[in-house]
Amino acid sequence: MFVNLLLLCCAAFAGEDALIDLARAELERTQVALAESEEPPYFLAYEIVDRHTVRLLGSHGAIGGRSDRRLRSGDIDVRVGSPELDNTHKIRGAGWFAEEDRSRVLLPLDGDPRASTLALWRQTDDAYQAAVRRLQQVRANESVMVDREDTSADFSPAEPVVDLREVRDVELDLEAWAGVLRRVSAAGLDHAHLLDSSAELTAVAETFRVVTSEGTSVRWSRVHYRVSVWVRTVADDGMELQLSDYVVTADPDDLPDEAELARRFAQVAERLQQLRDAPLMEPFSGPAILRGRAAGVFFHEVLGHRVEGHRQKDEDEGQTFTDMVGESILPPFLDVVDDPTLAALGDTDLSGHYPYDNEGVPASAVTVVDDGVLEGFLMSRAPIENFGRSNGHGRRAPGNAVVARQGNLLVRSDEVLSAEALRQALLDEIEAQGKPYGLLVDDITGGFTLTGRVVPNSFNVRPVSMWRVYADGRPDELVRGGDLIGTPITTFSRVVAAGGELEVFNGICGAESGWVPVSAASPSLLVSELEVQRKEKQHDRPPLLPPPGQEAP
Amino acid sequence: MIALWLLGTALAGDWAWSDETVLRAALDAELERALNGLRLPGEEPPYWIAYDVLQGEVATVFAEAGAVLTQEQVPHRQLRVEVRCGDADYDSANFDALGEPDGVVVGGLPLEDEPLALRREIWLHTDRAYKDAIEQLSRKEAELAREDLLGPAQAPVDVLTTPASVPEALDPQAIEDRVLGLTALLAGDPAFEEVAAAGRDWQGVRVTRTSEGMAVSRTTGFAVVRVEAVLEAEDGSRVRDGRWWVARTAAELPPVAEMEAEVLEMAEWLRGLAEAPVLEDWLGPVLFEGPAALEVYRQLVAPEVVGSPPMREGRGPFGPEPVARPRARVGRRLLPPGWTVVDRPGADAAGRMDLDHEGVPATEVVLVEDGVVRRLLQSRIPAGEQPLSTGHARAGGGDRREAVPTNVEVMAPRASSERSLRRKALRLAAQTGQDRVLVVRLLQPPAMTEDFDVHFTGEGPPPGLTPPYEAYLLHADGTEEPVRSIAFHGVDRRVLREVVAVGEPTGWVGVMDAQPGPQRFFIGATGGMPAAWSGPPILISELELQGAGGGEARVVPPPPVMTTGAGS
Repeated sequence: MFVNLLLLCCAAFAGEDALIDLARAELERTQVALAESEEPPYFLAYEIVDRHTVRLLGSHGAIGGRSDRRLRSGDIDVRVGSPELDNTHKIRGAGWFAEEDRSRVLLPLDGDPRASTLALWRQTDDAYQAAVRRLQQVRANESVMVDREDTSADFSPAEPVVDLREVRDVELDLEAWAGVLRRVSAAGLDHAHLLDSSAELTAVAETFRVVTSEGTSVRWSRVHYRVSVWVRTVADDGMELQLSDYVVTADPDDLPDEAELARRFAQVAERLQQLRDAPLMEPFSGPAILRGRAAGVFFHEVLGHRVEGHRQKDEDEGQTFTDMVGESILPPFLDVVDDPTLAALGDTDLSGHYPYDNEGVPASAVTVVDDGVLEGFLMSRAPIENFGRSNGHGRRAPGNAVVARQGNLLVRSDEVLSAEALRQALLDEIEAQGKPYGLLVDDITGGFTLTGRVVPNSFNVRPVSMWRVYADGRPDELVRGGDLIGTPITTFSRVVAAGGELEVFNGICGAESGWVPVSAASPSLLVSELEVQRKEKQHDRPPLLPPPGQEAP
Repeated sequence: MIALWLLGTALAGDWAWSDETVLRAALDAELERALNGLRLPGEEPPYWIAYDVLQGEVATVFAEAGAVLTQEQVPHRQLRVEVRCGDADYDSANFDALGEPDGVVVGGLPLEDEPLALRREIWLHTDRAYKDAIEQLSRKEAELAREDLLGPAQAPVDVLTTPASVPEALDPQAIEDRVLGLTALLAGDPAFEEVAAAGRDWQGVRVTRTSEGMAVSRTTGFAVVRVEAVLEAEDGSRVRDGRWWVARTAAELPPVAEMEAEVLEMAEWLRGLAEAPVLEDWLGPVLFEGPAALEVYRQLVAPEVVGSPPMREGRGPFGPEPVARPRARVGRRLLPPGWTVVDRPGADAAGRMDLDHEGVPATEVVLVEDGVVRRLLQSRIPAGEQPLSTGHARAGGGDRREAVPTNVEVMAPRASSERSLRRKALRLAAQTGQDRVLVVRLLQPPAMTEDFDVHFTGEGPPPGLTPPYEAYLLHADGTEEPVRSIAFHGVDRRVLREVVAVGEPTGWVGVMDAQPGPQRFFIGATGGMPAAWSGPPILISELELQGAGGGEARVVPPPPVMTTGAGS
């Protein structure tokens, strides 16, 4: 029943799209209407995004949250001036309020032509007038300020594309999943150390439509299903500890079954118990192995954000790698590619997959680093010196201006060590450096990086599963309460070896243009020196009373 | 759109809890455990615990020009835990330590009646609230002596128990039909660049359990529909107008035909405003017709009859002494002699309420007699001169349970006919050499105003009145000249004493409301608590208004769909 209704509501097929026709008509009407104005727009684009989110949350044997939301929003991009200098140009030395005005509008869910057209018209007019106002400020700012270091244009050309792909939507048996989540989450009652726990299913279907005044009309859909388990506790010293595990797929049939989900729940619950009893990590500097997912996030934060094109142009950015094209920035055995065209890596679907970016430019694989040498940057349609065209990495969440973002960042090694050999290399490093131990980081929750000039150009990657590895044969020791920190150039110079098999981290990345799904995949890496700082710590006592149902008789 | 509603219903259908048995048992069990065992080493145990569960279902829809923008139907089950430490004379509550946690914790509860799942959430929230209360008590003790307080920590009440309640049925289709239908009415009218509507149906029950032994349940809910239309005036200004309806259930909303007639009347008025002049300046008598007068009462009377004293505040970083806040006072002349104001929770209107959010029976209160404030609406928050609750405590989420008016009737002596009232207004204008008087038909409700100056001017009840949606100049020859884009200047409660004539009272008009204060501006199109007001039109001898026109004219001509008749 559920699936049938969805199909009834949302059936749409390749080759026809009334909403795109409507948007194009309004776009062309606007161009004609403003053609004789003092500042006619030289570029107009609509991006219309349908987002359908279904969420089910099970906790302690009951459904604790349930929602089903649909939203259709439109982003309007108006450019006045010329591609060389337009209203989107950064106003140097300005405050927060000089940022480009953004126009986003809610559109009718059913595509009603009158209501949709009216909404687009109002927002387009607002956006156009805001663009004209801002262009005046941009021109004045250019007169007042010194010459720019990067004199490239504000907008690059792109070949028009017409490609209407099938619209897809969420297909789930929600009632069956509610039962699964109830039963799996009920296991939380069996673990006295768990304060909170849940099992959750989220499905997001998005359909993107991009229409530009250059003739581009694209439509494509992306559906992600994510099932996860999550557990939380508080250690005796007040530190809050959380662990989760998840599977992201593009096909609901690939989601784990109940037994597998229950196994994962039990696994994180047991690991959390171990972590609760684990010793605290102290500040440390020494050799470490980053297992695949951790290494993927490490590269996403430390390298990926620093090769996003717009950062090479913005003089407030640290521009770590701007002038290093053609130079070695990584060991010669490492290659880094960002390839949004990849839908999966082995059996794992990739969250950062898309056929067209949010500017309607076809996604393409970009070789960022080849044999350790920096080759290029991730580009939107904002050109930079020596990189004049988009390579399909202009991304945003609705309501934001497009900037260059990562999609699927893949790290590959030409020299592969087996897991045993990599571990032995770590032990050798520990001994060579005279360290008491090394580190093995096998899971992380995420991280962040600072790329500006005012603040230290550093990164913080946040492990949830980190082990001390002793060279004297003692067993590995799980530790808690440490974050990996460092600065990019130094850290990259310390990568000394890599494993073979790529592990995938699927997540959501937040930056200037909002939250977008991304993937990062890497083999395990041995870094000769990584620094650990203490993680922030909470101070609350654990609950004073035992959990309900676990009271002493 | 029907298919989408079916989808929403199918998803939301099986969460429902059958009755309150499991919930009440879970509350009882955790209350007992907390009272018997919750204690930090070296600290006192809680002396008072209250659980308040709001559970139900809410359907919300936003539409524009006859098409749905968003719609949602979701279950709602929220727990509010309040733990107090100290004793009945001096406790951790009613103190603001720069926003530090104060012993009130709000969080979600499972949507299903699974006993242990329910108890775990109650357990964790109670533990958190107790620890916060212990710290809050120490902060309060560091700054406020017992003798600085107005009396006991909270007003005593009769401890009630009631059986379980059965919520009213939700009718999302009725709300959607209205929202779509009302916006579709104007969808083909080229005058309007925007016609939007929002509607919500919220039906459920509120269950309160306290360590005093209170165990009560009552139904709660409201249905609200708002419509707003915007057009561009000749000078580029955007001119807005709106209508709204509030009732306890969707079934109690006015008949569709009646609502449609109001929207068409609004549209007619707005069309006239397109070419109306901006009234640059006005100093003189102002006549508030019925609906506008009710909004004047709500904005100027309500803060003066709500007795919940401002929160005592700790020393901030900018001064050693707490700042004095304005407060309602018994004995203040609020209205001219002969006026009476009564809050009637039992009246058959949108604000009807049997038990307040603290489980106290809501009582009728004569607030103003002969124009002077005689009694105040109270919750259990201690208030020196009137220490007992009147059963008017209401608040959203974790907010303090302050008093909020329910159904307020404003009565004046010597009502004039409409014709007589207009004659008096013109005579008053003539005394100052004017041959016209300003008449306000409708004021913007705070929730819909875009004039942030009104509520960012101070801490207490916001001064001023929201701008008119609809106003016109009544000329001596009887002609009416619509005016637009004006705003009040320098208005406060004292203008109520300048009422020089009144008309025939209106019936009850429902509104969505919040505690008097800035919160009223932030409830949005469909939030807040239902209330109702009735009272007469009023003529005030002198008010000042200033023009607030200007805007950015559209440069892209309207699309053809704006001028081609009915919608899709």
